[in-house]
Amino acid sequence: MYFVSFILKNLTRRPVRTALTVLGLAVAVGSMIALLAVSYNVEKSVESAFDRRRVDLVVMQAGKSSGLNSDFSEYLVEEARKLPEVAKVSEGVVDVTDMTRDSGASDPVLIQGWRLDNFGFEDIQIQPGGRMLERGERNKIMLGRTLATNLNKKVGDQIVFGGNKENPYEVVAVFKSFVVFEEGGAIVPFEDGQLLTGKRVTGFSVRVKKVSPDSAAEIEVVRQKLEALRDAKDTTVRLAAQTPDTYVTSVSQLKLIRAVAWLVSAIALAIGVISMLNTMAMSVLERTQEIGILRAVGWPPLRVISMILGEAVVLASIAAVGGTVIAFLGLHLLTLSPKVNGFIEPELALVVILRGVGITVLIGVLGGAYPAFRAAHLLPTEALRHD
Amino acid sequence: MTDGPAEHLIYADRLVKTYPDGDVHALNGVTVGVRPGQHVAITGPSGCGKSTLLNMLGMLDRPDGGEIYFRGEPLSKHANLDHFRARQIGFVFQSFFLIPTLTARENVQVPMFEGPRLSARERAEKAEALLELVGVAKRASHLPKQLSVGERQRVALARSLANDPVMLLADEPTGNLDSDNAVKVLDLFASLQKSRNLALLVVTHSDEVADRADRVIHMKDGRVLSDSATR
Ligand SMILES: Nc1ncnc2c1ncn2[C@@H]1O[C@H](COP(=O)(O)OP(=O)(O)O)[C@@H](O)[C@H]1O
Ligand SMILES: [Mg+2]
Repeated sequence: MYFVSFILKNLTRRPVRTALTVLGLAVAVGSMIALLAVSYNVEKSVESAFDRRRVDLVVMQAGKSSGLNSDFSEYLVEEARKLPEVAKVSEGVVDVTDMTRDSGASDPVLIQGWRLDNFGFEDIQIQPGGRMLERGERNKIMLGRTLATNLNKKVGDQIVFGGNKENPYEVVAVFKSFVVFEEGGAIVPFEDGQLLTGKRVTGFSVRVKKVSPDSAAEIEVVRQKLEALRDAKDTTVRLAAQTPDTYVTSVSQLKLIRAVAWLVSAIALAIGVISMLNTMAMSVLERTQEIGILRAVGWPPLRVISMILGEAVVLASIAAVGGTVIAFLGLHLLTLSPKVNGFIEPELALVVILRGVGITVLIGVLGGAYPAFRAAHLLPTEALRHD
Repeated sequence: MTDGPAEHLIYADRLVKTYPDGDVHALNGVTVGVRPGQHVAITGPSGCGKSTLLNMLGMLDRPDGGEIYFRGEPLSKHANLDHFRARQIGFVFQSFFLIPTLTARENVQVPMFEGPRLSARERAEKAEALLELVGVAKRASHLPKQLSVGERQRVALARSLANDPVMLLADEPTGNLDSDNAVKVLDLFASLQKSRNLALLVVTHSDEVADRADRVIHMKDGRVLSDSATR
């Protein structure tokens, strides 16, 4: 017999209790893994968008780093374009705006106002039957394919914002993008974006001319020059220029998602630890005499601790597997819901799974520690008298 | 022949044990020594401290006063007695105390995790051999609840021999057995004690059990009332 076999046999002796504990833990851990995945996927998606579009710096109004509440003049964009080290600038107005359904209900939708000569958006794939926005066009809109599906709109249909039926937008394209929330949003001409959001420019991306191998240093030089730009007519505005990596960690929406994910993880951890504690404490209590015997035949406290902790960790590991499955199913179910499928990808990255499994094993160790300690410190003579 | 710690396998010198709850003086200065290979019975009325003495000698608990010597060495010097107990001492109890989830074969292996290093296969083989020795080899794959009480005590006996101890401590080993099974188990104890030259201490209520011993210690109120070795 192996020590592990003994541990497993202890778990199978109360199959119902073991199963319920595993199930409870798996649900807690599953929701935790799902949220960690959502948070991770959103960040990765933003990061990869900048990466693929070869954006070196992201510029927003300083102090408004979410991007959605940033607002500054086009003059600053022009000044940025004039910097000799700057290869390309791509500006936009981005905000969440109410889109009115035919029924009169409205949904918040992420819209992006674009200049047609913006760099980096060549990778948008127009689906058959549609076409790219054209220069000088107004009141035209391209729908991300998730949004199009949610709204049940196709090329040629009309879209109304803020209940303003006199000023409808005509759908000219449905597009695919590798950025999940672009697919959940819409793209309009820059000037329409300004009208719909009431903002001038919310941000711009910069591609830096790279001549030396140390591109990080070159980017840093441009970053400082960008932050030094001033608009004489709007002296309160400062720009914040960040590398995409820094940007992603500072965006307040992403921070919020991350915070929620970790909060739910903390709650799952607490619930998990308590339920583990309860199960293992009961199990130790029931086996007081047995533990006395193990001590009587010479098992030192440390081996008793390994046994109880081993049981807790095995329980937790099974729950981690179950939780991963639950998270996987849950994410796929979530993407079926029109409320959230615009910004959720159902992928479960390995790091996320490992993080979730790590936390679950921690649950096992934390929840098993006290019962294990109690078991190890039972006086063998007392334990043998117990019944 | 002198009669100090050095001449004995285990020697308890003026042991005192007081249990805090109820202020029970379970042992009031008990001195006994057991020589290698000696068969000793401890008798006395219920509550007189027999089990307490056995537990002290088996290093399950420490005395509040006095000293225990193992092979002449005082045990109070050792912080950790688990290792001693695992390798030198075998326990048999009145209610067997087998692990209900483990088969007979597995129960016998439980102490081996703390014995000399053996592979899983060697552990299983040794367990088989011990079950054979106590005559329950055929029941090796059965769980305790599938065994008769007599068989359970045999398995417990096999378990007590798992790490080839020098001393067996049995606390009323036939207390839960009918007389037929009791005789068989006692015969087994006797033959193992002889063949392995074990020191054997049996706590018992029964005269038949006590009669088989080389020496009988009679206790009362936490003291040794009489010891046939010193008569
Ligand atoms: N763990 C304990 N806690 C408190 N009292 C105990 C404990 N163990 C034994 N006792 C008491 O100590 C006395 C001796 O007990 P014990 O050694 O079990 O006697 P015996 O085995 O001779 O019947 C009894 O009065 C018993 O109630
Ligand atoms: Mg007793």
